Amino acid sequence: MAWITKNSAGMKIERRDEPYLTPAMRDELINTHLPRYEVRKGALFPALHMIQHHYGWIPHQAMLEIAEVLGITPAEVFDTVTFYEEYWTKPKGENLLAVCRSIACEFCDATACTEAIKAKLGIDVGETTPDNKFTLVELECIGSCGTAPAALFNEDLHENLTPQRCVDLIEQIRSGAYQPGGTGAVKDE
Amino acid sequence: MPKKTWENTLTEHVLLKRIPTAPFGNIRDRHVVGYDEYVKTGGYEGLRKAVTMAPKDVTEEVKASVLRGRGGAGFPTGLKWTFLPAPDEGHRYLAINADESEPGTFKDRLLMDFDPHLMLEGIAICMYACRLDRAYIFIRGEYHHQAHVLEEALKEAYANGIFGEKGLINRGSNASGDAFVADCYVHRGAGAYICGEETALLEAIEGNRGWPRIKPPFPAVKGLFGRPTIINNVETLCHLPFIIERGAAAFAEQGVESSVGGPPSFGTKLMGVSGHVNKPGCYELELGIPLRTLVEEFCGGMRNGKKFKGAIPGGVSMGILGPDQYEAELDFDIGRKYNVLGLGTAGPTVFDEDTDMVAVARNIARFYKHESCGQCTPCREGSGWLYQLLCRIEEGDANTKDLDLALEIATSMGSMPGTTICGLADGNNWATRTIMNKYREEFEARVKRTYIPVSIGVS
Repeated sequence: MAWITKNSAGMKIERRDEPYLTPAMRDELINTHLPRYEVRKGALFPALHMIQHHYGWIPHQAMLEIAEVLGITPAEVFDTVTFYEEYWTKPKGENLLAVCRSIACEFCDATACTEAIKAKLGIDVGETTPDNKFTLVELECIGSCGTAPAALFNEDLHENLTPQRCVDLIEQIRSGAYQPGGTGAVKDE
Repeated sequence: MPKKTWENTLTEHVLLKRIPTAPFGNIRDRHVVGYDEYVKTGGYEGLRKAVTMAPKDVTEEVKASVLRGRGGAGFPTGLKWTFLPAPDEGHRYLAINADESEPGTFKDRLLMDFDPHLMLEGIAICMYACRLDRAYIFIRGEYHHQAHVLEEALKEAYANGIFGEKGLINRGSNASGDAFVADCYVHRGAGAYICGEETALLEAIEGNRGWPRIKPPFPAVKGLFGRPTIINNVETLCHLPFIIERGAAAFAEQGVESSVGGPPSFGTKLMGVSGHVNKPGCYELELGIPLRTLVEEFCGGMRNGKKFKGAIPGGVSMGILGPDQYEAELDFDIGRKYNVLGLGTAGPTVFDEDTDMVAVARNIARFYKHESCGQCTPCREGSGWLYQLLCRIEEGDANTKDLDLALEIATSMGSMPGTTICGLADGNNWATRTIMNKYREEFEARVKRTYIPVSIGVS
């Protein structure tokens, strides 16, 4: 996790002319989030969430831009970004499939769901499909133990999964028939 | 009167009043309760009553109810509030711990999913009683939908004069002389179990990596941004409206007295049952319910008619209840009576007789390896070693002496207080140690025997 470090000295970051932090985001950050915190660094989480939500990952250039707005060093931003699992420092596929692997889910057959997804997409956990459509990861507990096995498909929670249901959902996403929203907390009986 | 032994006297839900749940409702009727519906069903009455009382009296009422923290440690809430220093010029904070990441726990999600105003009322009461002017709801990153529900509920609460400049708390405090503006914000985490630890949570709100702080100074004195801070769990705060509205005595009618002479376990508790039972889910029941009653009467018994093998009482950190501990009462005494760490969040994960306990231990060890923040060496290194060792045991690639080695690593990496800053390693220790001790024969069956060569001197 956070303590696996690599030497990044001399690393060149990719840049583009158009800023990642759009004027609208900058406005929201300065007017809505900054006044909420006593120190400027407090608004770092909301800023990172904005970027993550919009682009699906957090490019280095965006970190520099956030650092500039918040008046902190880029290193401080990088420190926070690399610690947390939900912030992606590399691009991921368009859709993130995150299957829970913690105790209740594993013993209610989450493994079978993961295997079904792996077979369907032809990728391993942690990989992205060649067409850049799907990334599959395994997460620790996502707070849905009573309705295990559960998975997050992008930002939607799906509960009481079966391998077949996983495959169906992938089909739906592929064909565009997928309805966002997830299953809610009501158990299918 | 509080009871010595458990019997079901609950005639209506306290926390799940507006969230239909068996036996008083059907979960199919669940929906998000908005401000209007909340008020129509008696909502914000507790807050309205609280602001007519002096803040000190509100704290006294909570203290009298012996409400114990629902986040895992069971620390008396009223007592925690009294650690705050007297108000001065600067901000004072409330941090709400909605970073529910302990495997086996999903109770707070239910409250935030459907009845966000109950929590907001609890927050407002706490802010009024402790003179706190800013509250941050630290919600875990994976709860996208819940964060959205809370944001909407907060907008309604601001619009209807609960928080903000014209807020109820502010008006109430005008009566007692000192005006202050109470604000409440949602702060989303980003997927780190360690942020459920109270000081790591503060670090995350400040925008830093979630590394727990060394205590003392305690957060009540020097917390968020170096200012006095109270940290409470979602469920704890949700109990406050009932306690203020009906009084501490009504709260103490539910739950049980301690049977070992400790502080009592009053009130109801959300019990999120998961694992191999017929009807898993979140139930609201009085504290002190025996695990057997919970599983057999409320959860429809074990799945497929299998036998009970073990259960984790509330989150994996708490250790495991063995096959002979099916009768264990789920209250705050459980730690002293059944050789587990404590009640935790009271979300039993139940295992049937087919479960491989070595795999359970391995799964839990993987969790801690993954979630260790890396600040303290014993936890960072020990959790990795333990996981590797348990993987080897599971694959049948280990020796008998490896079992002792695993136990030794577990014991030496976490024993609070001393080896590490926070309790994560301690949770790993308890989980591994109790599973290995209570199911020793299963582990022994998986390893190769170690033969110690003995040379006999023949002279």
